[in-house]
Amino acid sequence: MFFRVMDKSRLPDLVAGLQTDFEVIGPVAKGEKFVFATLQDPDELRLDYDTTLLPPKKFFVPPTENLMEFETADNEVVSADVESSPRVLFGLHPCDINALMLMDNVFLGEYEDPYYKARRDSTLLVGVNCEPSPQCFCNSWGTDEVHWGFDIFLSDLGDRYFVSVRSVKGAELLDRFVETRDITDIDTADLQRVTAEFKASFPRHVETSQLPLLLDAKFDDAVWDELGERCLSCGACSMVCPTCYCFDVRDKLSADGKTGERTRVWDSCMFSEFAEVAHGHNFRASSSSRVKYRYYHKQWGYLSKFERVLCVGCGRCERACKADISPRVVIDALQKGATVR
Amino acid sequence: MSTDAYKQLRANPYRPWPARITSITELTETEKLFEFRLIDEEVREAFEFDAGQFVEVSIFGVGEAPISISSAPSKQGFIELCVRRAGDVTSALHNKQCGDIVGLRGPFGRGFPFEEMKGHDVLLVAGGLGIAPLKSLINHIHDERHDFGRVTILLGAKNPSEILFRKQFDMWKHREDFDLIMTVDQPDDSWDGEVGLVTKLFDRLDVDATSTFGAICGPPVMYKYVIDEMRKKHMDADRIYVSFERRMKCGIGKCGHCGVGHQYACIDGPVFNYWEAMNLQEAI
Repeated sequence: MFFRVMDKSRLPDLVAGLQTDFEVIGPVAKGEKFVFATLQDPDELRLDYDTTLLPPKKFFVPPTENLMEFETADNEVVSADVESSPRVLFGLHPCDINALMLMDNVFLGEYEDPYYKARRDSTLLVGVNCEPSPQCFCNSWGTDEVHWGFDIFLSDLGDRYFVSVRSVKGAELLDRFVETRDITDIDTADLQRVTAEFKASFPRHVETSQLPLLLDAKFDDAVWDELGERCLSCGACSMVCPTCYCFDVRDKLSADGKTGERTRVWDSCMFSEFAEVAHGHNFRASSSSRVKYRYYHKQWGYLSKFERVLCVGCGRCERACKADISPRVVIDALQKGATVR
Repeated sequence: MSTDAYKQLRANPYRPWPARITSITELTETEKLFEFRLIDEEVREAFEFDAGQFVEVSIFGVGEAPISISSAPSKQGFIELCVRRAGDVTSALHNKQCGDIVGLRGPFGRGFPFEEMKGHDVLLVAGGLGIAPLKSLINHIHDERHDFGRVTILLGAKNPSEILFRKQFDMWKHREDFDLIMTVDQPDDSWDGEVGLVTKLFDRLDVDATSTFGAICGPPVMYKYVIDEMRKKHMDADRIYVSFERRMKCGIGKCGHCGVGHQYACIDGPVFNYWEAMNLQEAI
């Protein structure tokens, strides 16, 4: 990794430059909230955003995706093309970059997913530092920092950006499109100050010690029944989660029944039929068992495989939940034995 | 199939291999035994599997379903699947004719530890359709019989007409190299065998706990009781193997549907030893 300093006023130059070669996607305002969308104009970019409604996963695993087209007569695949085009995701917060790396473990590990892989390979990531919002707790998982997994990372030092460059491609684009200079000791000291202020500004810290043990030891705890009674099984938490990756596979037939598409669509373990098997037997028929499973998988199942929890503390699920269920609420209840009401 | 198509298949784990149905045998009112041959020669020769692994059967326009392989790994060139008419995909498969083409993906998952079992006694317990994956293991053991000690097979079914592979097992009942006992819950006039749950048969078993591997497959409710019997015979938890049924939509550890505790049945299983399974929440 090497470092440069870029004057803040140069940001539109960089974005406009990238737009000559790439579709540039960044946070833009949508009413009072923010979404990741393709930038038409560099001025639309809002790096002062809190959190986007949906995370960047939709650019790698779209909500609905065509896996292959088929003909039914001979059960034949007509095409299984993998679509990807050169893109830059601009302005990702550390939590969202960390979340993508957690997704990589699943989609790029054993049995590499060619659809995800193609989009990952054709997308450059430009990160930016942020300010914690009331729902943020990335500090509890150490995902408030990111040191790899991006091409360029911009740290706001007020009038300038401290630019960390991770990839050859990132270095080349920076060189081509924007004027930068070498870092000085003052820049580094300012970065340290900004980072320290950031870390001190988190409104909350979630106590996570012994969490896998607690999830097992308190598997039959009444707290899950209370959570189950509250949960609406709407799946909103999974849809807005940057690390939830479950999907369903569905075949769609054309009107004449001769051709069709096999698609995958976002799914959620919170939906009542998610764990159903043949003859309607449901391994998680109760709402409480589903709430429990979601936390169990995120804080223990994934951890057992990849040594990280499947949560980056972005707070989107808390914002989306109509029943006020959040990781903080669930983990607090497990830690303190307190009722969740 | 061209080499190019073969490469595409290899590169995309979601893309099914075309396979022709070469034989259909009606076993019961609800179960049929299908034999498939992968159409591409290169693919057919490359297809190797372990007893206990499964494939995703793909019928375009309907969907996919995970089915355990019933044929033995020692018999190459074809794949045998015992399929109960249960959902959309299995019903569509039941409506297919010999010569029709379907898709297969796999093999997926972790099977029984065949090599590890060699040199030991084996106690296999199947309930109902649970015989499907165990048949692969039984036939594999049969083909390499001299590598094993005593082989005991306990088969349970609701009634005599639901006993799968009845003809084969009726013949085997008299063999000296396999101890095979069948039992049914609801006997009819034709039945002169054992009556009762499969667990009842353990009373008469003489198990050498120091050298016996167990393998169990059946309806979810069966596992606990059969494991209890094996534990009463002092068999170690890590020598008892169970195969779990879950809806494995992708088969490759991504779609999330087959989560069992902190594992996925599709890649960490479907065969688990009891030591692993007893530490999985909501498994048994």
